[in-house]
Amino acid sequence: MTNAAPFPIVQVTPLLREIPVSARADMRVPVRIYADDELWQQIADDRSLEQAVNVATLPGATGCVYAMPDVHEGYGFPVGGVAAMRAADGVISPGGVGYDINCGVRLLASALELSAARQHLEEAVHDLSRSIPSGPARHARLDLGTAELDRVLQEGCGYLTELGLALPEDIPTIEAGGALAGADAAKVSARAKQRGHNQLGTIGSGNHFVEVQVVDEIFDTEAARVYGLHADQITVLIHTGSRGLGHQVCTDYVRLMDQVMERYGIRLPDRQLACAPLASPEGQDYFAAMCAAANFAWSNRQAITHSARTVFSRVFGDAGCLSLVYDVAHNIAKLEQHGDEQVCVHRKGATRAFGPSHRETPQRYRSVGQPVFIPGSMGTASYVLAGTDAALGLSFGSTCHGAGRAMSRGEAKRLRAGAEVRKELERQGIVVRCPSSGELAEEAPTAYKDVERVVSVVNQAGLARKVARLRPIGVVKG
Amino acid sequence: MSHGPAPSHELIDHTSEIQLRVRAGSFADLLAESGRAVAELQLPRGHSAPAAGRRQLRLTAPDRERLLVDWLNELIFLAETDRWVATEFQIDRADGTSVVATVRGVEVPQVRGLVKAATMHALHVREVNSMIEAEVILDI
Repeated sequence: MTNAAPFPIVQVTPLLREIPVSARADMRVPVRIYADDELWQQIADDRSLEQAVNVATLPGATGCVYAMPDVHEGYGFPVGGVAAMRAADGVISPGGVGYDINCGVRLLASALELSAARQHLEEAVHDLSRSIPSGPARHARLDLGTAELDRVLQEGCGYLTELGLALPEDIPTIEAGGALAGADAAKVSARAKQRGHNQLGTIGSGNHFVEVQVVDEIFDTEAARVYGLHADQITVLIHTGSRGLGHQVCTDYVRLMDQVMERYGIRLPDRQLACAPLASPEGQDYFAAMCAAANFAWSNRQAITHSARTVFSRVFGDAGCLSLVYDVAHNIAKLEQHGDEQVCVHRKGATRAFGPSHRETPQRYRSVGQPVFIPGSMGTASYVLAGTDAALGLSFGSTCHGAGRAMSRGEAKRLRAGAEVRKELERQGIVVRCPSSGELAEEAPTAYKDVERVVSVVNQAGLARKVARLRPIGVVKG
Repeated sequence: MSHGPAPSHELIDHTSEIQLRVRAGSFADLLAESGRAVAELQLPRGHSAPAAGRRQLRLTAPDRERLLVDWLNELIFLAETDRWVATEFQIDRADGTSVVATVRGVEVPQVRGLVKAATMHALHVREVNSMIEAEVILDI
């Protein structure tokens, strides 16, 4: 046992440490952290561990609270945290999902290879940046009426097939088919709808992006084949979420839970963890609104897919046809069966990674496990992983979600100017479209942990299996 | 109306978000100064147009911490939905559970930095050396 962090730490394996349940009197379950020694030093440097311990106090918490190797300090939950509460008597916490409900990643695969795409790459990236609005509060070309927005919230991507924005074959390769059955548009406030009605098909800002990438290396030939990926292939990775609509749903329900916690006898070390029993009216209302916001997020990535398909088809012709590999959430709460218990798994900055045997793994991926996408930072590689059956017992079937921030935005900007970051990316042959140099500096690769190291830990720990590495060649940033 | 020492604010680094620290001589001034801090994040660089439109805001909350968060979330909502950034704040009445304010602001073609929400993590409003100090983390 060491005391490098403010809590006693038990080294379980070289890649797994535990804060025992005895570390603080109000903990209900232990905290387990997946990291190698270098990532551990970074994790112990901020408030991730304290935040994970706070999560371990939530009523109904079961098993362990898990921190992924990309974990970093957030607000309430750490980013990169996984916690499961018993559905029967546990709570649901809007702060455990975060403001960007169903922020997630979608991968599209083309029939193009790098040699054929290189000549028209700049044109394609430029056209993507013109076709897909990015930046804060940028509005979409699609402005949904009340009834249309309610159908998006209720039916998710299925409704987008009616709008001509999705192909029927897209639906089975989206987590949950792009629509959570528990959604209820009536539980989403008018203010949330006001924020979201004109944001479908937009990237937003911060670390959100659309990237054109090339398959750089294959680690698992069979899984890559099943996913339809091969070396030198051009792909498109989309990273965004539920935009202002999701932000407002979280704001509304954190406020509501904060008001009712006392009635349920819940006392917490952090108000941002505000929660209510899942079975309570407030818990049920939040769950229904969160599912609706999740449907909006999947639909958002679907609308962006439609724009990307239009651009690729125009620029590259038939070879530019983009097929959907998979779409996976990394900020969400889901009802899942784990062992004998039905639990509400909160994944905040963590990705579901179900293996071949799980019934929610799409039929076409049952031989290898569901695809998982780990976006790197600009200029660094992204990874395709495969979920494992072992992860169910190791992390409630979860893995990391990205490189994880290592540096504040302010520090990143002080370290390197945006123009310098832009030039360096261009030197690497990456076409960049970003409205603000400041944003580029904030998202510079130096602001993030080493994605290769993060992925190596989850691969070695058995939380997911490396399948392929994707190298960026074009970036459209929010 | 100003009460006592000049209000001030700092935007403090946080691994993934921004922490806002505000000091003022009264709770009313604290709300006004926190509004100016959010405007600093939202206004396009070099923006200098004078405030034009005026709105009245009325909010109630169970305590002053919650009221501060609700106040900031209201300003965030207006910026995102109307592209209207509040820049001048006249607090007509403020106590620990309610605020009435007349706010002037500017329409912008695009908000500069996306502030998703004001959070309640590590939130506090407290008296420090005859000033009121607040800390709040903004999700960006």
